[in-house]
Order: sequence, then structure tokens, then C-alpha cells
Amino acid sequence: MSDVRIKVENLWKKFHRGEIHDSLRDMIPSLAKRLLGKSPSRKELGEGDFWALREMEFEVKAGEALGVIGPNGAGKSTLLKVLNRILRPNRGHMKVEGRVGALIEVSAGFHPDLTGRENIFLQGAILGMRREEIANKFDEIVAFSGIEAFIDTPVKRYSSGMNARLGFSIATSLEQDVLLIDEVLSVGDWRFQQRCNERMEELVKGGAAVIFISHNHRAIGSLCDKTMLIRSGQKAAYGPSGDVIREYLQGSTESNAGADAPVHLSRVTLSQDGTEKWDFSPGDEARVDIEVKASTQQKGLVAVLFVRNQAGHAIFNTSTNGLTDTVDLEPGESHVFSFGLEMHLARGEYHLGAALHEKATEQRIDTIFPAATVHIHSNADVGGTCQLYPKLLTD
Amino acid sequence: MTTETSPATFDSRKRTILGDFREIFGDFWAYRFLLYQLTLRDIRIRYKQAIMGFGWAILMPLMVVGSGLIVRSAMAYLADQPFASEIIAGVALKAVPWSFFVSSIGFANQSLVRHFSLVTKIYFPREVLPLSAVLAGVFDSLIGGVALLIVLPFLGVDFSWGLLWIPCLAVLLICFTVAAGTFLACMNLFFRDVKYIVQVILTFGIFLTPVFFEPIMFGETGAQIMMLNPLSPILEGTRLGVVEGHNLFTPLISEAGTVVWQPWYLAYSAAWAIPGLFISLITFHRLEFLFAEYA
Repeated sequence: MSDVRIKVENLWKKFHRGEIHDSLRDMIPSLAKRLLGKSPSRKELGEGDFWALREMEFEVKAGEALGVIGPNGAGKSTLLKVLNRILRPNRGHMKVEGRVGALIEVSAGFHPDLTGRENIFLQGAILGMRREEIANKFDEIVAFSGIEAFIDTPVKRYSSGMNARLGFSIATSLEQDVLLIDEVLSVGDWRFQQRCNERMEELVKGGAAVIFISHNHRAIGSLCDKTMLIRSGQKAAYGPSGDVIREYLQGSTESNAGADAPVHLSRVTLSQDGTEKWDFSPGDEARVDIEVKASTQQKGLVAVLFVRNQAGHAIFNTSTNGLTDTVDLEPGESHVFSFGLEMHLARGEYHLGAALHEKATEQRIDTIFPAATVHIHSNADVGGTCQLYPKLLTD
Repeated sequence: MTTETSPATFDSRKRTILGDFREIFGDFWAYRFLLYQLTLRDIRIRYKQAIMGFGWAILMPLMVVGSGLIVRSAMAYLADQPFASEIIAGVALKAVPWSFFVSSIGFANQSLVRHFSLVTKIYFPREVLPLSAVLAGVFDSLIGGVALLIVLPFLGVDFSWGLLWIPCLAVLLICFTVAAGTFLACMNLFFRDVKYIVQVILTFGIFLTPVFFEPIMFGETGAQIMMLNPLSPILEGTRLGVVEGHNLFTPLISEAGTVVWQPWYLAYSAAWAIPGLFISLITFHRLEFLFAEYA
């Protein structure tokens, strides 16, 4: 076997927007269409179709981990499903060598009425394990999941965390040549997550080829040497993880309205003392520039700046409405709204977003989110969302 | 580590009929433990936490026999003929394979849709889903079959070499059931109205299949028409072989001179079951890649 475990060449996958006919009655007209040759081939886009993956090209070698990042709906999970043979590509080729394991919905095969013990054998078999293999690994699986006491209880009485832990333990006990991971580390408590990370590092060191999809950039950065950024089904960047994650976080996200709109948000930058920057300490001064471009005459523009935490909750927002007058633009003119912010945030990752409103109609014209991602670094033992500068009082 | 021929290695480039069959049976072999586990699961959940327990396996054939008795005693009464215990034996012999067919098709038909979350998330050869549904039905029928063998001597059936027809015809029936179940499972995934059509056919199928009666009751032409149903020769052959001790490789002409059995009836059923099995497996396998998109 060659060193290359996963090889993807010019891979395309199309999806259909909207309903697919799903009764015999609907099939007859579509069959007739196909017979008359009016239906598009598998390789072309038909009405309502779109490319979920385009021109995918990469390879992963044994002992290598490739991180995959990108906004929701970019095609990350579709890519994994294609590699896992659940979906077949419309164009292009791929080759996956050796035994493939996937950490996607790790407890999908569980039957609620069967006990944990019975389900280990069932789920193991679904993942392609043989009887002896499961029997040999049984104690290890149970120990790793930490549910020894409940192993003969039907899984319908398990908590969702126990369910996921058991599923993860089974899935990672498998000896794979290729491992596909889709955002599973969000299950279980902190200690379990820690153990999961260690287990995955072991697997990579043991010579598995790993593809790791996650929104947890820190986990990607520590596990994967290389990362691929996917946007709208296309490879937008590929290279050393640190560089790609940085590029993603810099917020080159396209605006909702798009560059062809009469007026749109064209750029959002985050800086400190004149240099672009994304790492801050609590209390640092940051400057956010929001550039707006207009191709037709615009009146009464208001810029909105908002911050969301990693869970996506809005934690702060402000707008130019109360701070200055509105802005009018002539055709071809652009304007930069600049905000100064004091970053009184607790340690962690936050996403900045920008929006453009028209004051008279109170209509939102455009949004960019995430426009930039901020890392707040701090050694202080502070968690949560804001920094309240705690100190110990001795009096 | 294995190379090209291993079912674990996947290359999207190759696709031939022969290659497909190699893939299907290679997958079956590689995933034989999964097939066993899924069958075991279906059996376990059927007998776990159930009032009936293993009685469930006998309930359905028993109901069929009961209904058959009502129908046949009414017929005997109208024809002013004595009601022979051989009639019960004949109906009971056909009730077990009929129940097997109905329940297996029912479970197999729903097997893909029921495992929606597996089909859209995890790769494994999907053929094992309808196949394990049928295998669980085989297990049920074994219990029913054992019960039947205990009862048969009391119904005036002498055990003879004719019993050997049972395993032969059972293989044919299983092949046909797997073929139909696999095909329907994938149709049902694409078209959700298939399950209603199948339900209707299974409900009324008992009138189009010789379970309660013998095809010869409809006269020679009627019997031949009824034998067009691929299940008919299998069910009727079981009765003729076991109850009447007839050698199915030879024709059987009644005293009145009408044709009761022709050896090619068997060949006809086999012509449905065996090529049907291959066609439906290859259809299933070729459409497999669409399952996750349509499910």
C-alpha cells in the first residue's frame, strides 16, 4: 500500500434544492422526461441543483491529520460523507485505502431496548469490526467510556452524555487506516474531551490518516499539521493549520448582499495602533473599521457592530446611530465607519459582525458575519463573557 | 495490509456487473458479523419485554390455520363432504411459509426507512438491512416449523422422505423473499407510497395464493392461472410432497384426469427466485449511493 491513504481528484457533488419527488405518482412524469432525454445527466446541473462540492483536490498520507474548517453549509460534512461512501460524487475520483472509520453520530446504531453490552457488539459490527476484535477490545471500550456500572442496563435509560461516550469509545477502539471525524468532541464533559484529544493524537501517531472537521480551531491547530478551508463547496485555502485558521478568522467572509449590490459592506478590519491584529488582552483598545461602498446614491446609512461568543449568543452591539449622524454616499463613493472598543472580555474566542442599515426605512441592507474573530488571552482565572477584574479583598 | 481486492479499499473509478457482484458478496463476507448482529437484534427486541415471548412465532401461523379451518369447514359443508384431518395438515403446512413471507416482506420493506439515521450517517453494505429482516423471519419460522412437526403426526401425516422437500422448497422461498424484500426496501426508500401498496397486496394476497385451498379446486385452467403466482408452486409443493408423499419431479394427475402438479411449476418458481435475487441485489447495489440523498 502506498503512503497516500486518501486521494481526491477534481471531485464534484451536486445537491438538489427543494423537494425531490418521493411517491410513485411523481415519478412517472420525471421518468418520461428522462426517457425523452430532457433530464440533465448526473454530471451537469439541472433545475434547482447546485454544487455542494466543487473541484475538491487533496490527499492525506498515513500518519497525517488534515483539519477542515469553514462556515456552516460550506460542504464540510458533505465532503466527509463522500469520503465515507455514503454519498457518491457526481464528477471526479477519489480513492480511500484501508479500513475507514468515521466519528459521525457515534451512537447512531444503538437500539434503546438493548443493553450497553449488546449495543457494543451491535455498533461495533456496524462499524465493520469482527467478533473477536470487539471481544478483545470490550474491557478497554467499557473502561474508556466510564460506564462499567451500567453496562447491563438498556441504553434507553442512559443519559445523552453516557450514550455519546459509549459511542465514541467504540468508534475509537477500532483500528483504522483512515479516520473521519466530524465535530464529535463537543460531547461529554471536559475530562472526557481531554481524553478524546489524547486518543486521537495516539491514532495519528499510530499511522492513521485523519480528516478532522471542527469549529474548535484550537483542537484543529493542535491535532492537524495541515488545514483546508472550505467556502461554498470550494477549497478556499490549504496549508499549515496556523496560517489557514488565521486567514479564516481574518474575516474575508463575503457580505450577504454581495459586491454587485448598490451598496454593500466591503471590508471589516480589526487593528491596534495601526497594525491588523486579532489577539488581545482584556481591556486592550481595539479599532474596528467598517468600509461601505456604494454604486448608486445612498442616504441615511447607519453601521452596526455586534459581538457574539463562540456559542453564537449576541453579547454586545452598538451602532453609529447614536454616536454620529448618518452617512450619505454619492455613486462610486465609499466610507469607513471606525469604532474604538475597549475589549473588556473574558478569555476566549469571539466573533465580530457588522451590519448596514438605512435609517429612514429601518431596513437592514447588508450583514457580514463573522467579519473577524478575536482571541482574548489572559492568564487570569476568569471565565464567562465579560471581564469584571476580580481581586481578593483582605479586609 | 490488504490491497486492491479488499472490500475496505474503495476506488470510485471501477464499475462493472461482475465487479459489483464481487463487491456485494465481498461485503457480505466482510460484514457477516454485522448480519448476525442485526438478525440477533431483531430477534432479541421481538422477544424482549413482550407478553407473547416466543409464542409470537406461532401466533401468526396459528391465526392463518384458524382462518383456514373456518373457510375449509364451510366449503366441506357446502360440498356435503366429510372434513378430513389431512385438510388441517395441508393448511398448517402452508400457513408457516405464508406467515414467513408476509412478516419478512413487511419488515424488509421498512428496513431502510426505519434505519434512516444509520443509512445517512454510517457506511456499511446496506444489503444487510433487508437481509437481516428476512433472516429474523427465518428464525421465527423455525420455531413455527418445529411446532408444526410435533403436531403433524396427530393430523394423520406419516413422516416419510417427502419431508425432505421442506428444506429444498424453503431455500427457494427464502431466495424469493430476499429478492422481493430487497427490491421493495429500496423502492420504499425512494417512493413512500410503496409501503401502502405492499400492505394491500400482502393483505389480499392470501386469496391469490393457495393457503386455505388447493389450486385444483378452480379446475385445471384456474389452477394453472393460480400457479402463475411464484409462491403457489412452493406452498402447494410442500403440501403435495409432505402430506400426499408425491415426488415433485413427476407430474401428478388426479383420478378425474385433471393435472394437479407439473414438475415445471417448480422450475417456474425457481426462475423467479434465483435470477430475481441477482437482479434485485444488483439493482439495490447500484442505487445504494442514492439512499443517503433520498432517505
